[in-house]
Amino acid sequence: MSSREPLPHEPLELPPTADANSLLLDRQLYDADGHAIGKVDDLELSDPADGPPVVTALLCGPTALGPRIGDTVGTLWFELGRLLRPGHDPYPDRIPMSDVIVLNRTEIRVRGVPDSFGARRVERWLRTNIIERIPGSS
Amino acid sequence: MKLLKVTLGVMTAIGGFVDIGNLVTSGISGARFGLTLVWALALGTLGMIVYGEMAGRVTAVSKRTVFHVVRDRLGVRFALVNLVASIALTMLTLAAELGGVGLAMELASSVNYLLWVPVAGFAVWFTIWRVPFQWMERILGLLGLALVVFVVALFHLPTDWHALGSDIVHPKPPASESMATWLFYAVSLVGAALVPFQLFFFSSGGIEEDWSSEDLGEMRANAFIGFPLGAVLSLAIMAAAVPVLAPVGIGGRHLGEVGLPAVVALGKVGLAFAIVGFFAATFAAAVEAALSTGYVAAQHYGWDWGKFVKPREAARFHVVCLLGVIAATALTLTTIDPVQLTLVSVVLGTAAIPLTFFPILVIANDREYMGDRANGRFANLLGVTCFAISVITSLAAVPLLIITRAGQ
Repeated sequence: MSSREPLPHEPLELPPTADANSLLLDRQLYDADGHAIGKVDDLELSDPADGPPVVTALLCGPTALGPRIGDTVGTLWFELGRLLRPGHDPYPDRIPMSDVIVLNRTEIRVRGVPDSFGARRVERWLRTNIIERIPGSS
Repeated sequence: MKLLKVTLGVMTAIGGFVDIGNLVTSGISGARFGLTLVWALALGTLGMIVYGEMAGRVTAVSKRTVFHVVRDRLGVRFALVNLVASIALTMLTLAAELGGVGLAMELASSVNYLLWVPVAGFAVWFTIWRVPFQWMERILGLLGLALVVFVVALFHLPTDWHALGSDIVHPKPPASESMATWLFYAVSLVGAALVPFQLFFFSSGGIEEDWSSEDLGEMRANAFIGFPLGAVLSLAIMAAAVPVLAPVGIGGRHLGEVGLPAVVALGKVGLAFAIVGFFAATFAAAVEAALSTGYVAAQHYGWDWGKFVKPREAARFHVVCLLGVIAATALTLTTIDPVQLTLVSVVLGTAAIPLTFFPILVIANDREYMGDRANGRFANLLGVTCFAISVITSLAAVPLLIITRAGQ
């Protein structure tokens, strides 16, 4: 499948042909400030009537990763992720492809990651409830 | 200045090479088999040098650790198996190292090691929490050099150099020991020299110390000079056991017995150096093991990690390290024999070596990642040879563990 979508701002340098599996899946994600925000756990595809499917978003979190692991372990990981999500909504965190600003072999950098992003909520909860209560955390 | 920095790094690598696994396996094999198992120590060290260099090169060139790339290159299921195996083994090793710290403190204080284990656990956690990475590496690595006392002891003991040399070139079990037991300790020596988490730690340490392509020379000096000289310390511990422990039938199954040759040769001073060396070696390895649990988890899931950021900026990483230290301390406090635990952890570690080697070999060959720093023919020849050997030792490890009941 092709992920050569035109992006609104900085143009991305992409190899002439690439498959999403080697280019996107499990790649490290950073926000615009360089903070790690997780890995690309799955992809969201849309299937327009007039053409091949396109990647519309990168998906993150256990509810995206669980089904890719499969079997009992994958199901458990999916369910754990679902329980931790607001309203137990199983749909994973998504990053629209239009928010991707850097995409290369070692990283994907994106802008506009909201504070409600699952990985950020977990990090924030552990920071406030455990790490910051121990003297010398900053 | 550059030379000083490289020398310091190499000395740190020498002191940091030895851990509870080396102390226990070298002591026992020297006492029971003379130097007939030196080949196993050499094989393990060769693997550590070849794959340490590869892992370090990947880190310096790509600015990514090897574990970081495992998921990306080898798929989510392989990566998950690798993650679970790595964390489980690293925790076993951490528990063994904490036991080792406790035993070293018992030698110094005559207070039972179990009372020292929680203190050691706390000190390990505190080091992770507050002590800067380079300070931690340098101080503990340099203190570990106290183990040079075993080299000195060799020259003060009635060492039969001719017999030692003869053992090395005639590798076969002594008449009193079975082939299975001898091979079990061979596997344990490989596993002691080549601990999987140490490769992940070496790679993550490269990020902590901000290596780049310009630091390749320094990294290679650590791997090519530091690791072999570290192995020489292991060899000295093994050789010093031969004239002291073997004649009186002491099996080297306690850390105090491993230290005995230094005491016989050099008295109280020898004892002091041995204890400092034991403490530094096991404590450094405990810190590295505890950090490694956090490193691999964070790199698998793509969190912020490392000691180069403040704990509050890597909360998940620090929570994993903390939980790792607590769990391993609890395991050691079950009064499980630390020496037995060490043997089991190094032999199970040997079984997992191919899981560690494979991704490193794949990534070091990836030209997209590595450009013209990818593996050349020579690195691949050595890499594939070591990989093949690691598969054989891996297959032998668990059957030997069961047949010999962990080398009884």
